[in-house]
Amino acid sequence: MTESAPRSGHLSTHVSTPSPGRVIVHVSGEVDTLTAPELDAALDRQLDGPATSLVLDLTGVGFLASSGLAVLIKAAHVAEERGVALSLVTANRAVVRPLEVTKTAGMFTIHDSLVTAEAALDRDGTGSSEH
Amino acid sequence: MSASPDRASHESIVEIRTEAGPAMIPTIRAVAADLAGRADFDLDAISDLRMAVDETCATLVSIAAPGSTLTCRFTVVPDMIEVEAAVTMASGQGTDAVATDTFGWRVLQTLADNVGVLELPGTDSAATQVGIRLVKRAVTDQR
Repeated sequence: MTESAPRSGHLSTHVSTPSPGRVIVHVSGEVDTLTAPELDAALDRQLDGPATSLVLDLTGVGFLASSGLAVLIKAAHVAEERGVALSLVTANRAVVRPLEVTKTAGMFTIHDSLVTAEAALDRDGTGSSEH
Repeated sequence: MSASPDRASHESIVEIRTEAGPAMIPTIRAVAADLAGRADFDLDAISDLRMAVDETCATLVSIAAPGSTLTCRFTVVPDMIEVEAAVTMASGQGTDAVATDTFGWRVLQTLADNVGVLELPGTDSAATQVGIRLVKRAVTDQR
């Protein structure tokens, strides 16, 4: 199942649900002051939902401002509160560097591809349909 | 001009003036990254400068008077870029309008080698200019 969020600015998000309980939010574009609220809303919607694991695919993100970083940090806190396994997918300097330089990378489970992120969740049994 | 003749001969200045709104910030940060790339900054330093300039402009735009101008000047010297950005403050804002107790400011301090708030004389007594100055070196410190 795939649903599309309305586009605005230079950010687009779409959501896929590969298996029950597991949600992937695909983000592409630039996350800055203008677009961070849109990402925040998209993540809130999923964190309020039934997902037990949330994968945030940032492969297509070419810029992450501190406002975008703040959204990710907030999502990490909310996910932890609600027992949702949150993982990030990125191998891109535009995302990795801000996480490293602000020493916030440790707050996240980070994978360099969607395949490894999903494999890790399958291994942990988090959000898999086999339960 | 206070710059030494030696420095002056090796510096180039790029100044951008635009409406003090969020729409042109992507362009300004792209210019910053382009200048850093041409000045042989390492890849982390380019990324840091792009993010620092974005944060600087976003901070100033948020306190700018409606319809005012955002000025962003890049001074490129060997191994370093200095950025000075300024806006006219919205009425009722004090000189402490640039909040330095925010997450964004802490990130800015981490990204730049040096950063500070500039208080600038206004063009008239009713309009006070405020700015941010930062310096980024071409080579990233090992953190």
